[in-house]
Amino acid sequence: MPSETISAAIDRALDAHAGLAELGETIEDEWSYVNDLGDAWRARLEAVAASRAGEPIADEVSQAIDRAIEEIGRIADANRAIDWLSTFPQVVLIALGERP
Amino acid sequence: MRFQDAARDARAVVYAGIQADPLVARAADLLADATPEQRVLARAAMNGETTDADAWRAMFPSLFGRAAAVDASTRERSEAVLEASLAVADRGEQVRSQVRGALVEAVTARLLSRRVGSNAVRRERRILFDGVPAEIHPYDVTVERAGAAEAYDCKWGARGINADVLYQLDDARSHAADEEERLAVALVVFDAARSCEVRLDRQTAPHDATRLFTLETLDELAGGKPG
Repeated sequence: MPSETISAAIDRALDAHAGLAELGETIEDEWSYVNDLGDAWRARLEAVAASRAGEPIADEVSQAIDRAIEEIGRIADANRAIDWLSTFPQVVLIALGERP
Repeated sequence: MRFQDAARDARAVVYAGIQADPLVARAADLLADATPEQRVLARAAMNGETTDADAWRAMFPSLFGRAAAVDASTRERSEAVLEASLAVADRGEQVRSQVRGALVEAVTARLLSRRVGSNAVRRERRILFDGVPAEIHPYDVTVERAGAAEAYDCKWGARGINADVLYQLDDARSHAADEEERLAVALVVFDAARSCEVRLDRQTAPHDATRLFTLETLDELAGGKPG
């Protein structure tokens, strides 16, 4: 089976990140911060996807992103979701060999 | 300008107990010497849902993986950071939140000590100025040296940056200037610079003269130009 590309892995990460933002938005006072934070990290991930789009990634990197997506899928608390809106992209970028 | 110990009220007594927790000291020792990637691992695991170490190892292939050439010392330190981080996570939601805060302060104090010596670094101190009512909240970490004082507020995440904190730091700096004293002020945030910048962009409180140290730049506390 061919390796996953960076752009496919980032697409999966962005979908998961959007779900985290939805949960974070439930704290009304932080609605605009959550959106700004989500936008800032989305832009960073999209920039990596654009510059390395078709590049294949090692299976363990793909699995690292799977595990990170799994981890944020467990989050039910909106405050923790906001914290992870920042942490999750950092974990993904490090797995991809990028600086956050 | 003069420094003074914070009042020993009930909050301070409880928090002093957290600060004195051996786990805080152990994790701070590790994180003071950690790489930026290991600090992100700590941030993630300390505020994670799972306490399964293998899940965290899988999420950080550059620290634990097979494909990357991970040398033995990096792997060993990463294991120690992970073990300490999961011990923090295991404390339960309220306690781990306090432990994380104390940890950022302890890491800050350790790094500053490398630059100015441990005798100059103090915790939980108030800064008093003539004719100015004292702030209720003490500064998390101070560097107390004649002519080169520094005050730090420490935060676990970017979301902790708020107007009160920014005003307190900037007011202290400007009151010191009024007394012709130099007081460098800074925020230390155990989060990515990108997230801190998003938070700061939303703030109208003065912060142009407040330096920011983030996960990427924590090591600058130990050397180079002071805050």
